[in-house]
Amino acid sequence: MAAPAKARDLCSAALRRAEQHAQVTHVEVRWLSEQSERLRVRDGAPDGISSGRSAGFSVRLIASGAWGFACTGEAAEAAVHRMVDEAVAIARASARLSEKPVRFPPRAGEVGEYSTPLEIDPFTVPLETKLADLATPEAELRRGGAPIHSAEAWMHWTAVDKLLMTSEGTDVSQRLVYGGVGLSAIAVGSDGRMQRRSFPGFPGSEGQQGGYEIVARTGLMAAAPRVRSEAIELLGAEQCPEGVRDVLLGSNQMALQIHESCGHPTELDRALGAEISLAGGSFLQPEDLGKLRYGSEIVTLTADSIAPTGLGTFGWDDEGSPARKAPLIERGVFVDYLSSRETAAALGRESTATVRADGWNRVPMIRMVNVSLEPRAGSLEDLVADTADGILFDVNQSWSIDDLRLNFQFSCELAWEIKRGKRVRLLRDARYTGMTPRFWQSCDAICGPEEARIWGLMLCGKGDPIQSMAVAHGAPPGRFRKVEVGHT
Amino acid sequence: MTGAELASMLTAALAAAGEPEAEVYATFAKRGFARFAVGELGQHMQLEDPSVVVRVARDRRVAEASCTVLGEQAIADAIRTAARTAPSVPRDEGFPGFAGPDEPNPLALARHSERTARASAEERVELLSPVFRRIRAAGLLATGVLDTTSRIEAVATSHGLTRSYESTLATFKVWALESAGGSGAAGHGMCAHVDLGALDLEAQTELAVTDALRSRNAGSLPAGQYDTVLGALALAELVEWLAMIGLGARELEQGLSPLSGRLGQRITAESFDLMEDPLGAHAFAAPFDREGVARRQVPLIRAGVAQGVVHDRTTAARAGVGSTGNASAPGGFGAGGPSPSSLVVQGGSAESVDELIGGIERGLYVRRLHYVNGYLEPRRAVMTGLSRDGTFLIEGGKVTKPIESMRFTDSLLEALERSDGMTRALTVAPNWWSAGGSVAAPAVRIRGLNFSSGSRQK
Repeated sequence: MAAPAKARDLCSAALRRAEQHAQVTHVEVRWLSEQSERLRVRDGAPDGISSGRSAGFSVRLIASGAWGFACTGEAAEAAVHRMVDEAVAIARASARLSEKPVRFPPRAGEVGEYSTPLEIDPFTVPLETKLADLATPEAELRRGGAPIHSAEAWMHWTAVDKLLMTSEGTDVSQRLVYGGVGLSAIAVGSDGRMQRRSFPGFPGSEGQQGGYEIVARTGLMAAAPRVRSEAIELLGAEQCPEGVRDVLLGSNQMALQIHESCGHPTELDRALGAEISLAGGSFLQPEDLGKLRYGSEIVTLTADSIAPTGLGTFGWDDEGSPARKAPLIERGVFVDYLSSRETAAALGRESTATVRADGWNRVPMIRMVNVSLEPRAGSLEDLVADTADGILFDVNQSWSIDDLRLNFQFSCELAWEIKRGKRVRLLRDARYTGMTPRFWQSCDAICGPEEARIWGLMLCGKGDPIQSMAVAHGAPPGRFRKVEVGHT
Repeated sequence: MTGAELASMLTAALAAAGEPEAEVYATFAKRGFARFAVGELGQHMQLEDPSVVVRVARDRRVAEASCTVLGEQAIADAIRTAARTAPSVPRDEGFPGFAGPDEPNPLALARHSERTARASAEERVELLSPVFRRIRAAGLLATGVLDTTSRIEAVATSHGLTRSYESTLATFKVWALESAGGSGAAGHGMCAHVDLGALDLEAQTELAVTDALRSRNAGSLPAGQYDTVLGALALAELVEWLAMIGLGARELEQGLSPLSGRLGQRITAESFDLMEDPLGAHAFAAPFDREGVARRQVPLIRAGVAQGVVHDRTTAARAGVGSTGNASAPGGFGAGGPSPSSLVVQGGSAESVDELIGGIERGLYVRRLHYVNGYLEPRRAVMTGLSRDGTFLIEGGKVTKPIESMRFTDSLLEALERSDGMTRALTVAPNWWSAGGSVAAPAVRIRGLNFSSGSRQK
């Protein structure tokens, strides 16, 4: 979809303004407009029905060999001129502290348009329909009353229109539409113990690119009775015993495992030290490329910005690099990073096209796209049947990993104990922990494509000021041998 | 634009839209943000954060709309959008209506500095130049942020309530790194103040350099329970998480909070006092919330006894109490209900961190924490996280050697039950998910903190 004429005119005006500054060697001007809608129903009552719009311009440029960034929410020529002048002034000031000028590799400009394929535009669906699609399953969660103490269901929709014009001749317009729907039930026992069950994943986190057809595909109503009964069953379950067991990860938890232990450590800006001030660094260092055994032979992970329905799918990233699919871990070996043009060039490589900003007023940076585990063969039930003594974890509850992305600990809402190839009981408060390369090296089975799906993660935090990005992970279930498990 | 001008704009937009039950909350932050890494100023930015959020109620059917254009016409359009939506929303029986002019006036708190508001790119570079030099001279790499933010906010309702406020905040965070990517030793310093001129960049840089140098060649320890001194920033992060999982009325209603069913009961050590104190010297928040209600002091835990949680107008009406002035600003992290803005943990009697360390025969000193998560078992406030930027072995009452990052997993409340010392002085840390939010905390000594993993190994 083409950007509005006024936005295009003002981006052009900003480019022309930058060209008037002799010190400027590279310019990117962005316009971004976002429409959003959030709905939540809790315990039979509305709990936040909101809609929003946000729009503005930003410029990132190199002047006197240093970066400058500025933005404005004002759609006027004087405002975008002022924005460019501010960015130039910032770059010139910063240049005084630079030891070496920015090395930004040139590339040919890209021209084109991209839109999310969708069946039903979510912003055309009546509010009454949306609320009914939430209220019915939410009421189902509360049917029967105690020990269900509270229940909620939510839905969110976003449409982003953006235009990127650069001094290299790039002129790309994109429209990305995505959303998600989910529910959760909280059960509280007579002893005050609490258990939460959520569907399809961590509350508020799930999302996919597409339209309102996502609601029917997700199937809240079909899931609600199971979610309710599992929440109640967990109240009486035994705690997960401490020990070393084989661990199976369901598709949803596998997505979180990929996110934290592969997605983040393969961000090249982290590896080079640019993200220490909030998120930390990475154990995957440039000298490890092509050498470090990250996982077992069956582990291949990719950076994929072309997968249908993925929240990390687009036509071009925010530096104008075209979408692509490339391996990060190939047959267990660390082979590439999520990178930008500048960081990739520092290693003599090409960008893997992962640069995005979460709004018009934030600087674009390396973000996960769809970082996905390549499926192998077999079903989850095959895997359960093939496991003598293990625990199947699914649906994340808590997550924590160290500043190098090595030492992780995750707990899940669901933990099924497996004995002699059968699920024998649910365990509560279950967690597993490990060190990233050792964990992935212990992976001895990955299920097939029929078990894999792309999970969205709506709120991936990175940057300072923090930016919240929608990313995704293709995740088949898998098995890991001899993992430390226990309870919280 | 001034705060008063913004408030006038909101009032004019309300009049233009003509809705009888409406509320508008608007903010505009201008941030000069110099973010440096590995000795280079790679992200130096001039950021604008405009936000307008309107709520319209019709027969207790409440709808919200937002935009980022600070103009009378755009705001009136947002009010009309919410008004069109409201009739389709189910009735919220507990909705108390928007605030009126009878709402008590907030205190006049001076939290604005012209120097911070007018800081230029050149001034930030000027201030950072000696920081870069000092860290480079130590053979280390400089990473961090110098942020100069000025902010205006205003609230107006169709019942005639109007509020406005102008504030500033300057924040400096610095790391001295042994190597890029964070795999070597690291030291950290941080300070925040309304006035850029009050920041002591030199002292914080020196702290970062000293800790980085003494963190080289870190050893390892096995998992286990260790008597531990948590630095003030480490305790502040845990208290932030306590706020997220359990100090708001919403979490209490849902049964998720560690205070659920335990108000009036002792839940931690008698020496532990936690208060929402937006009026004190350690706070940066505006003196009113997004509903225009004056913020006030709220005891949350006093002498170890759970006292209460914070409320907005809606949760307060449901609970039959008054709002504490803690309606959350839109767009923040967390569950979306009321949340504390300005937490203060009362200090103890120790004159220094060294005094706390002196009371440990064998244990750990942890300067900061990383990636804490409090969703493990919220009713017990079980949390996990990693140490970072300075983890040291204590032997015979003294720091003897650096230790690689370790993971703790423990109930915060149960751990505090085992605390037996806090510093008198507090350190205040702005939080990263809400404008003006902060936690002020002392360093604390905890007996037998549970470290669930030993030092990491690649």
